[in-house]
Amino acid sequence: MSLIHVKDLAKHFQILNRREGLGGAFRDLLSGNYRTIKAVDGISFDIEAGEIVGYIGPNGAGKSTTIKMMTGILKPSDGQIQINGLAPYQNRIHQAQIMGVVFGQRTQLWWDLPVIESFKILKEIYKVDQKTFDEHMGMFNELVNLKELFSQQVRTLSLGQRMLCDITASFLHNPQIVFLDEPTIGLDISVKAKMRTVIKELNQKRNTTIILTTHDLGDVEALCQRIIIIDKGKILYDGDIKRVNSLFGAYRTLKLQIGDYTDGTLQALKEKFEGQFGKVHNISVAATEEFWTDVTIDQAHTPLSDVLNFVMTNFQVSDVRIVEISMENVVRKVYDGALG
Amino acid sequence: MRGYLAIVRGAFMVGVVYRFGFLFTILGNIIYLGVAYYLWHSIYQNSETLHGLTFNETFLYVGLGSAVFILLKTYTDWFMNFEIREGIIAMYLTKPVDLGFYMLSVSFGALLMNMAAITLPTILLLVFVFKVQFAIGPGLFLFPISLLMAFMVSFHIDYFVGLLGFYSESVWGMSMTKEIIVTAFSGALIPLQFFPAAIEKILLILPFQTIYHTPLMMITKPNQGWEVFVPMLMIQAIWVIVLFVATRLFYNRAIKVLRVSGG
Repeated sequence: MSLIHVKDLAKHFQILNRREGLGGAFRDLLSGNYRTIKAVDGISFDIEAGEIVGYIGPNGAGKSTTIKMMTGILKPSDGQIQINGLAPYQNRIHQAQIMGVVFGQRTQLWWDLPVIESFKILKEIYKVDQKTFDEHMGMFNELVNLKELFSQQVRTLSLGQRMLCDITASFLHNPQIVFLDEPTIGLDISVKAKMRTVIKELNQKRNTTIILTTHDLGDVEALCQRIIIIDKGKILYDGDIKRVNSLFGAYRTLKLQIGDYTDGTLQALKEKFEGQFGKVHNISVAATEEFWTDVTIDQAHTPLSDVLNFVMTNFQVSDVRIVEISMENVVRKVYDGALG
Repeated sequence: MRGYLAIVRGAFMVGVVYRFGFLFTILGNIIYLGVAYYLWHSIYQNSETLHGLTFNETFLYVGLGSAVFILLKTYTDWFMNFEIREGIIAMYLTKPVDLGFYMLSVSFGALLMNMAAITLPTILLLVFVFKVQFAIGPGLFLFPISLLMAFMVSFHIDYFVGLLGFYSESVWGMSMTKEIIVTAFSGALIPLQFFPAAIEKILLILPFQTIYHTPLMMITKPNQGWEVFVPMLMIQAIWVIVLFVATRLFYNRAIKVLRVSGG
């Protein structure tokens, strides 16, 4: 029996179709015109103890809704979830004891109080004994140097500091499962790196199962062995990250601003690329904004440096940016059968 | 239990953290007492008693009434409405706590805070500045019990309205209606004796008067017999039980329709 068992899970919301304008708002008072939104539409998976699973998808894919059902906040419309053989919705208080949750956009800390007070309150709520509590705090101090934040009011913390504290709080009672919903949203690179170290360390030291939803593919690459890609409430891919890696790991988009850009430049660029690298499908050229030309490269076939060199010597390039592929692009590629 | 005590402690601390808010609450109350003193003084100019209450009793009632009013206002419905709209309520639900007891603990912490900031200073002011005389009687001993039950009634009314937030994303209108009903029918604004006799009779069996009228009677007219106080406490106790059970049942229904914003 796996730790988390999800079968044919669905969640439907009834949304009122609102009309425009003031008049519309008044008419809506009596409206019974609802439409159903299938936020999660029949998903199934099993997660074993000790896994770190990346649960990814574009905005509105149904990630948070799934997490909320797994944590017992929302009741599934259909299908079942079992965690340790129990349904979270029916055993919320019991199940909450073995789970930790971080919602990146909200905090579980007491906004007006110094950080340490929230930890103390959580210690009592989860019935953590003093020895375990001290050990935990010691470990986090080592990892991220929290101590200097302890006396600070939560509302005065920076976003990064607050997230580190929130993650500390979610691991406080040594839960079997930790749900991290967008833990790195809005954080800078160095804090992100810290966060990843902490998460990895806890997973290895305590065998904590971690379910991570994120928009940042860097998080997924750094942490997960397995990913589940979801879009429009359905699972598109569930499996080893290695197969998907090429989709976002190897692809880079080179954004070029070409000085003497004319209507023929795009065509010339295409032809020259074909001449140099052969007619390969893994380089695509497209004009996007004004004067910007996108070249998407699969690094598995063509090294980025070769392309960059080639472009620099052959064109009058005034500006270059390298962009990692976005979540939306990954999902589109999966739809296009990239994993087929 | 330990967990809830920690929450009570936390909520108490939140009140202390904002020192200026604390000080201004005390100051505002002093001003209010001054205004009320002169207002009722002029009303009583031509008569010794009105509706069976002397000036001393009425001023004690009004002065303590405002203190008890602030003390027992939990604002639970307003907080819950905000938390439901912002999706913060989800954080509570991921903790191994019962939502009702969680909210009760937060309110109780705030109550203790208000007691230190408002009730005690008010009593000191009434005694030492306004020289109000407290009568002695069994009512004084029953006052703390009555106050605690009044808090339970007040909290559960607010919590009930707060739970309505699971159905409607905005309970502003309902909260306002509740505020008006409670203020008018509880005896917080004017003593219930000032209402017409028939209406007073109805109001005396409703839960609202158990919030202010009952505990205030214990302290303004404490030298009455047990036959007066026992039925009052009984009505309070019945309402505590009825409202507790009602909110428990309602929670079980409301939680089913809970939606947390965002997906």
